Amino acid sequence: MATARALRRFLDALYLAGGVIAGGFLIAILLLIVAQMVARWTGHVFPGATDYAGYCMAGASFFAFAYALNHGAHIRVSILLSALGRFRWWGEVWCFGIGTVTATWFAWYAVRGMLVSRRWNELSQGLDATPIWIPQLSMAAGVILLAIAFWDHLIRLIVTGRHGITTDLMDQAQGE
Amino acid sequence: MDQLIPIAIFLAVLFLLLGSGVWVGLALMGVAYVGMELFTSRPAGDAMITKVWSSSSSWTLTALPLFIWMGEILYRTRLSEDMFRGLSPWMARLPGGLVHTNIVGCTVFAAVSGSSAATLTTVGKMSIPELRRRNYPEHLVIGTLAGAATLGLMIPPSLTLIVYGVTINESITKLFMAGVLPGLVLALMFMAYVAITAKLSRDFDPVPEPHMTLLAKIKNSRFLIPVILLILVVIGSMYLGIATATEAAAFGVVGSMLLALAQRSLTPATFFDSLMGAVRTSAMIALILAGAAFLSLSMGFTGIPRGLADLIASWDLSRFQLLMALLVFYIILGCFLDGISSVVLTMAVVEPMIREAGIDLIWFGIFIVVVVEMAQITPPIGFNLFVLQGMTGHEMTFIARAAIPMFLIMVLMVFVLILFPDLATWLPENIRQRV
Amino acid sequence: ETWDMPLAYAATNFHSEVAANFATCVTEATGGDLEIVTHPSGSLFGGAEIKRAVMTGQANIGERLMSAHENENPLYGVDSIPFLVSSFEEHEKLWDVAEPYVTEALAEDNLHYLYSVPWPPQGLYMNKPITSISELKGVKFRSYSTATAKMAEMTGALPVQVEAAELSQALATGVAESFISSGATGFDRKVWEHLSNFYEVDAWLPRNAVFVNKDAWEGLSDETRTALTDCAGKAAEEGLQTSMDYTQTTVDALKDNGMTVERASDAMMAELREMGEVMTQDWLAKAGPDGQAIIDAYRGE
Ligand code: NA
Ligand code: NA
Repeated sequence: MATARALRRFLDALYLAGGVIAGGFLIAILLLIVAQMVARWTGHVFPGATDYAGYCMAGASFFAFAYALNHGAHIRVSILLSALGRFRWWGEVWCFGIGTVTATWFAWYAVRGMLVSRRWNELSQGLDATPIWIPQLSMAAGVILLAIAFWDHLIRLIVTGRHGITTDLMDQAQGE
Repeated sequence: MDQLIPIAIFLAVLFLLLGSGVWVGLALMGVAYVGMELFTSRPAGDAMITKVWSSSSSWTLTALPLFIWMGEILYRTRLSEDMFRGLSPWMARLPGGLVHTNIVGCTVFAAVSGSSAATLTTVGKMSIPELRRRNYPEHLVIGTLAGAATLGLMIPPSLTLIVYGVTINESITKLFMAGVLPGLVLALMFMAYVAITAKLSRDFDPVPEPHMTLLAKIKNSRFLIPVILLILVVIGSMYLGIATATEAAAFGVVGSMLLALAQRSLTPATFFDSLMGAVRTSAMIALILAGAAFLSLSMGFTGIPRGLADLIASWDLSRFQLLMALLVFYIILGCFLDGISSVVLTMAVVEPMIREAGIDLIWFGIFIVVVVEMAQITPPIGFNLFVLQGMTGHEMTFIARAAIPMFLIMVLMVFVLILFPDLATWLPENIRQRV
Repeated sequence: ETWDMPLAYAATNFHSEVAANFATCVTEATGGDLEIVTHPSGSLFGGAEIKRAVMTGQANIGERLMSAHENENPLYGVDSIPFLVSSFEEHEKLWDVAEPYVTEALAEDNLHYLYSVPWPPQGLYMNKPITSISELKGVKFRSYSTATAKMAEMTGALPVQVEAAELSQALATGVAESFISSGATGFDRKVWEHLSNFYEVDAWLPRNAVFVNKDAWEGLSDETRTALTDCAGKAAEEGLQTSMDYTQTTVDALKDNGMTVERASDAMMAELREMGEVMTQDWLAKAGPDGQAIIDAYRGE
């Protein structure tokens, strides 16, 4: 029981950490863009600024996938689920099952895709000439985190009958 | 077509996954995977990562989280109270009275927010209690708010237009400029409706406003200064070419932080909340975009978009007929899907048809925005309905019914756009030399 | 067998048209054994993704602007050294020398080179007439690559970074006042609405290369390979001719729309060549002995 609680705390901290890292990347986007503008006004170039901002965009997205999932921010069409009534659990198992399989598959290929970039020494085509696998680390890490979160919820759903997500309409609606 | 069976399987999987409640982004990935397996021997997973990476690490996309963040900061300021105080004296004498503050307030706030829901919550949290206290008819208050808040998507900045622009690879700035005039026209149409209803309806009997001198009105308008400054910075910087859309978004974030600081509503806690809120919402959109990027690749391999474009070309529809077909299609889709999903899900197929028909893609972006706006207020899935339900406690059916006139006005707006395409295309073509 | 061929540019672009003819040629020559389906406008893979996609077999064949990958291997940028060549003829001469080296470089990236087609020569767009590059000083000059950034540095122009998608707006609003590109770009973007002068300086002629995944290539029968190679030869010829014709068409269109189009004066050309010499040395420093061999052979002829 104690280990279970410790694991729970560890996982929740992990998802939150992902969210905070993503927040750091969002701040970095802001700083990069401001720096680029200042450079332009003062007659300088900030070579590769747009590329770096793009990598931060990826970081801000991927690292937050699991965190957003736990807060119910990801959109789903839940009419049918609600209509299932007391059979809803089966519907949720189906959804989390599909989610887990897809996220795991996604994670596997995200890691592979990064390794492919490393194997072929792919460099950014912009002025920054960054080895692409480095920013792709954020994709690999973030999607692995998402897969872990899905396994977490699926197992909780099967063992305790409840997953750990409460839908947050506000987060979803803000995207509209 | 000998591809009929695979296409049927493809669609069946799509409906099964989306309909059964699988998260939209992952459902799109699942469908795309099935498509790859059915139609090509290319490695699905590797190809997916190539697409997902390049679409998620795009520079153009950075405007998206920034505008969301800006909205999150503004939501935590006193902006809505100030706007109500500044606007209401001018609206009180119009036929329809303070209901106009809903529409004008949404229009003004739309110019600093990219989202319909953010516009709705910010304006609504102030105007609903004030209007209720003055005995305005509830259905009119709720309906106009639900409808006018969708202007958040059309008047720049707009999350929908960013996503559309990234999907079809068009300039975000041009799309933003295209939304300005149609947005204002739509707002005027809403206001005209309010004025007419107020004249005709018998249950329209609000508490009259105390008289205010012109000087007092002007004095009250000082509350509007912060938001007007912010609009000038965001839209003005784009129009004058000082900033690209992304840079304007950065201006917006910094500007809204300064505003919050000035009002002493920027604490470490609100800063962190706004940041994390923005991160969650943009991660949500990013997952959908990742799924959609893979789906559009998969669609490319299937040849369905091209086949469909050819098929529709062979029907020899006029542009008008094509647009009508798309209007109906998107209205139905919009009942069940959120706007961003319905845009990215369909663009791989619709874009070739539009190009084939010789329709301007900037103009079509505004067309798409109007139909996505409608989707916000059509049941069963309409985010403005959800948000208003949370804010007012009304049944969703009541809110949806109250919003029907607004829906019809938006349908009318589509025809206005078709009749006067210049509304959308004139401004982007005439962004002028810096003065 | 069906091969999907991702193309970055619109179906109406001459590169895409040449590729479409090439695809038809292959399909016919193999009697349908190998059918090539082109996907223009980046509708399958976008430009930036095509090399990776073909390299790793996500698509079997594709077309890509070679110099975009100069960071990975300087040899891919041999066609884009500023002011090394200054006409189609000189460029072709350079390419004759360089082609085997680039083929070898592509082979190391698991790609079998088929053919390539040059873009029209890159000229200088300006918002005012100039007679010397010293007049570029202080002008807001679009720099989007290592070479253009270096040019700004050497001329004292104010470099501004503008993405391709934002070019029209940047010109309209005066964020950029000058840039280097082909007459075709100016024609597509209606540059005459914002800028007044186009100098034909033939700064460089970047090439689009068509390549096949090497494993897929090795899996083909000898007859199919011959068919591909033959069609590639035809496509290269057709492409070169189209590119030359198109250059004239677009430059004429710039004139018709009121731009002043002229060749740079001899004095200015001399200055540019001088700058080109520095940039050639820069390139040689990166490109190693293979690069040196190409330049030596080109100059020795
Ligand atoms: Na807006
Ligand atoms: Na709806």
